[in-house]
Amino acid sequence: MKTLLLKLEPLIWFMFGQGIMIGTMLLTGWILVLGILMPLGIVDPMNLNYVRAQQLFTTSLLGIPIAQLLLAALLVLPLWKGAHHVRSLLIDFGGGERDGIVGTVLYLIAIVGSVMGIGAVAGI
Amino acid sequence: MSTTEKTIVISRFDPDQDEAPRKQEYKVPCDPSWKVLDAVNFIKDELDSTVSHRWSCRMAVCGSCGMMVNGEPKLTCKTALDEYGDRVEIEPLANFPVVRDLVVELDGFMHKFESVKPWIKRVKERAEDMENFNEKGTYSQSAEELGQFKQFSMCINCMLCYSACPVVANEPEFLGPAAIALGHRYNLDTRDEGTEERHEIFRGEGTVFSCSYANECSEVCPKGVDPAAAVNQAKFGAVIDWAKGLVLPRAPHAAD
Repeated sequence: MKTLLLKLEPLIWFMFGQGIMIGTMLLTGWILVLGILMPLGIVDPMNLNYVRAQQLFTTSLLGIPIAQLLLAALLVLPLWKGAHHVRSLLIDFGGGERDGIVGTVLYLIAIVGSVMGIGAVAGI
Repeated sequence: MSTTEKTIVISRFDPDQDEAPRKQEYKVPCDPSWKVLDAVNFIKDELDSTVSHRWSCRMAVCGSCGMMVNGEPKLTCKTALDEYGDRVEIEPLANFPVVRDLVVELDGFMHKFESVKPWIKRVKERAEDMENFNEKGTYSQSAEELGQFKQFSMCINCMLCYSACPVVANEPEFLGPAAIALGHRYNLDTRDEGTEERHEIFRGEGTVFSCSYANECSEVCPKGVDPAAAVNQAKFGAVIDWAKGLVLPRAPHAAD
């Protein structure tokens, strides 16, 4: 299993890197909107209500492939970022010898999440 | 100038007598201008000649005097003693086997260092390759091309980055920051043609992808080298080659 992980390492690392970029941008925006703008009353909390969010995804993004692609990237890449970061963290805390199994479990979670994310976006 | 008395605690280890390192305290009258190395040299010269440590140039060029100072890897000739309080603990560099007192074993590091082939490799020897030389008989390189790798060639092999690296601590066989930075330096050098030969050393088990992005190597480097950047650039190179391997499966060194 370790050999397979080693072979896939460039791909995993690339998705991890893109996940960091997207995750960092998203998280910054998230903190800005939820942590600062909403409490200050600059953004109306009703903008984020369920009906409006669902309408945005089902009506506005329908049939726009680039929007769907971006949405899929937003859902999928941070999962790989998370899985890879947790794996690295566990290695740093001395879990090197269990890396094969730990890596496999984490990436399987990311794969399942990715399939669900892509499926959800494709089904919009 | 008036001196201040500091307690310098040195980690002592004599493989013939000790099973584990022990601490020994020395009261040292320290001059405010002293570096940490000056205090260790004072102990060696005036208080206890049995203390063993490595040092040479005293100007942050030779890379010999790396030690753990209060738990952090430091080049002791470059670290002001004044930065610390009345009690300073000095230990040998972490993540290396200790030979004696503050002296660590270099063989493992030297082997890793050599394995990245840190020299310019040409496909043809100089005598057979005159058409690539300019009229002065040298390879031309622009300032921009030099700038690509210059910072990575500033490494003085002080090994602080190996002491700081959590991956080296867990996987002693990990190639490590300085060796990767140096190999990468030659990969970036326009005069070098050894990149593909270095790939197998760079991309196998315990190499660039073992790095877990702690970035400690770049934090502790006393020469401003950024080994973490070299590691990540090397990873990106592997990604490009991996992608090329998908598009052009017969390309040399495509995804194996």
